[in-house]
Amino acid sequence: MTATDTQAIETQATDTPEDLSRYHRQMLLPGFGEAGQRKLLGATALVVGCGALGTVIANMLARAGVGHLVIVDRDFIEMTNLQRQVLFDEDDVANAIPKAEAARAKIAKINSQVNVSAVVDDVNHTNIEWLAGVRPDGSDAADSPAGRKVDIIVDGVDNFETRYLANDCAVKHGIPYVYGGAVGTVGASYPILPHTAAPGTTGETPWEREGKATPCLRCIFEQAPPPGLNPTCDTAGVIGPAVSIVANFEVLETLKILTGNLDAVSPTMLNLDLWGNTVRQFKVARAYDISDCRCCHRRDFEFLDGKFASGTTTLCGRNAVQITQKLGDGQKLDFAEITKRLEQHGSVNGSRFMLRTDIVDNGEPYELTLFTDGRAIIKGTQKPAVAKSIYAKYVGA
Amino acid sequence: MIYLDNAATSFPKAPGMAEAMTKFLAEDAANPGRAGHRMAVAAEEMIDRARLQLARLVNAPMHERMVFTLNGTDALNIAIKGVVASLSEGGETPHVITTVLEHNSVSRPLQALSDAGRITLTRVDCDDAGFVDPEAIRKAITPATKLVVMTHASNVTGTIQDAAAVGRVAREAGLLFCLDAAQTIGVVPIDVQAMQVDLLAFPGHKSLLGPTGTGGLYVGERVPAASEDVAGTPARLAPFREGGTGGDSATPVQPALYPYYLEGGTPNTVGIAGLSASMDYLAQRNLADTLAHEQAQVQKVIDYVTDHDLMTLYGNTDATTRVGTVSFNIDGFDAPDLGSILDDSFEIATRPGLHCAPYAHRRLGTFPVGSVRVSPGAFTTDDEVDALLDALGQVVG
Repeated sequence: MTATDTQAIETQATDTPEDLSRYHRQMLLPGFGEAGQRKLLGATALVVGCGALGTVIANMLARAGVGHLVIVDRDFIEMTNLQRQVLFDEDDVANAIPKAEAARAKIAKINSQVNVSAVVDDVNHTNIEWLAGVRPDGSDAADSPAGRKVDIIVDGVDNFETRYLANDCAVKHGIPYVYGGAVGTVGASYPILPHTAAPGTTGETPWEREGKATPCLRCIFEQAPPPGLNPTCDTAGVIGPAVSIVANFEVLETLKILTGNLDAVSPTMLNLDLWGNTVRQFKVARAYDISDCRCCHRRDFEFLDGKFASGTTTLCGRNAVQITQKLGDGQKLDFAEITKRLEQHGSVNGSRFMLRTDIVDNGEPYELTLFTDGRAIIKGTQKPAVAKSIYAKYVGA
Repeated sequence: MIYLDNAATSFPKAPGMAEAMTKFLAEDAANPGRAGHRMAVAAEEMIDRARLQLARLVNAPMHERMVFTLNGTDALNIAIKGVVASLSEGGETPHVITTVLEHNSVSRPLQALSDAGRITLTRVDCDDAGFVDPEAIRKAITPATKLVVMTHASNVTGTIQDAAAVGRVAREAGLLFCLDAAQTIGVVPIDVQAMQVDLLAFPGHKSLLGPTGTGGLYVGERVPAASEDVAGTPARLAPFREGGTGGDSATPVQPALYPYYLEGGTPNTVGIAGLSASMDYLAQRNLADTLAHEQAQVQKVIDYVTDHDLMTLYGNTDATTRVGTVSFNIDGFDAPDLGSILDDSFEIATRPGLHCAPYAHRRLGTFPVGSVRVSPGAFTTDDEVDALLDALGQVVG
């Protein structure tokens, strides 16, 4: 699907933003005030993914009065989401509503001063810039849901491929990006104020002028982990508070950035193990200096260029989609590990050549066949976005 | 990588092909023209030489009626739609005979014309071994029949059809005979005069060992241009595209002179330079030896598959009636799964699926999953075929 095929469903603010009384309690905070609140109301945020992280993020940003939210998610709400995805309810499951659209409808009731654009689509290298309101040359994409370059990208994503894509887009166009991720009982959050100029020089963004720019995701982790290596919520489980806490840290950093409180932005990567009762803050600032980052030093946006993009092919006549992954040389999936995880969902058949399992996802049966180089054939759909979603949930991308 | 997908496109290409293309691009890449500067004339001469090489290969009496096309599909569209368009203009709804073995490049244009009410269509069956009986074609002829379109060899079963017998049937009934030589040209002898072929369509990138983006259509003298003065023809050919011809620019409409009549627009000179070099290479090889080489390799696969209880062969068991193509399935593996395993775990390229020939797969009972197709080529070694058989053994276990 190309960017221009994607239709956003819009909620237009009906209330006058002149009335700021509802934000009184947060305007009392130091560094916030009416000026800070007006900045929020004038801001546009792209929320990538609207699951456990994304619903908390969208909910809190809307309540705080961020004026325009662009919410993107390819999935439909299912019963197993309700344990942690705070904007959704049983009616949404019964009505099989797309997550982005349900979030838009809920937010319309929460804060009518907020515009919401709901986009039901896969986020990939062909459309992420458009979703961020920017053309590849950096000019505003007037035809996009945001209408102009967004002020921040907030991470509600369930896979690393999309995170690295968001990171590329953020660094290329000088958009702050707040990373966040949670699975099981652990999570991490980290705000990126990207460098937009070559090392040794200073870009034009406020955070660069103030010397507050931070390393990007690729400075810290050069490559996305290969598919199947990391646990996913659908295979390893997840506890509600883990995602809520991580998402709220993301919201917190977003509010700091949008109100211009750059001094307060966390310079560290927060790492939580909520079951093990550990909270760690990794000092990452040096990563920019010691790395030769392809993304923010060399300005080579490999993920945006589609170099690592997973490919999808609808297999003719078979009601199946094949997904291919670009693994590093000689990299192979760990079948033993993946089998252990998939067995949570049903029996896994296979050999050293392939793994096969039946999955029921949101009431629909799928057959997942996985090969050692990361490719998969997902039977039960002809829609690439559905297949990518299944892959991200059960294998991990 | 072991490449066993030569029915899709040959690999490797002829020695010298890539060098010839590079040389042409570097030294001679002018737009051909008959009355232009010396570089234009040189390009024109290169193309004319390639035309002559192709004409000689298929014993075409008039090399100027050998038209360059983009590929086999392009040639078939020009032939089929050109003939039908000229008959439609005369107010006729012609009857066309084709077979179940056709590739979509034949069956889709014909089906679309039939659906649009511009032709009536009969699709003649084949036998279990994969052969069409010429007598079945004779029986399908009606007073309205004008055209027979048939493949020379199935791209699924590899079975070589008795084109000369069908040519005789067509000629006796006063019909035009269009032969799709995609799987045969460059490896099976073709004589358009002896086989009474009026329209011969073929790609340059399969057994001709040329580059993709090349193909040809030989238009016999019984198929005149719309404005040519030829009496008693079953049908004329309307030009599929019109445009500049590099010669006669004064005529308001497409000049009736072959090959320019069907060659509007700048041709793929770089590709044709490559194809010409491939033809030079083929001229040093004995086609009969190449065919025997591929047939011997296919026989090995046939013997292995027919020996194995869990494997099913499609088409005749005698490889001497085939081009170098063999299709099979293994119980318990969908064709795309087996194809993925061979690629992923053994680095063997085969072609699973329907091979763009849905009617053939329906006839073989392999629709919609398809089969795995193995097609050795001129340069495939016995060791490579042995490696395939060894891999199949490991997969079946």
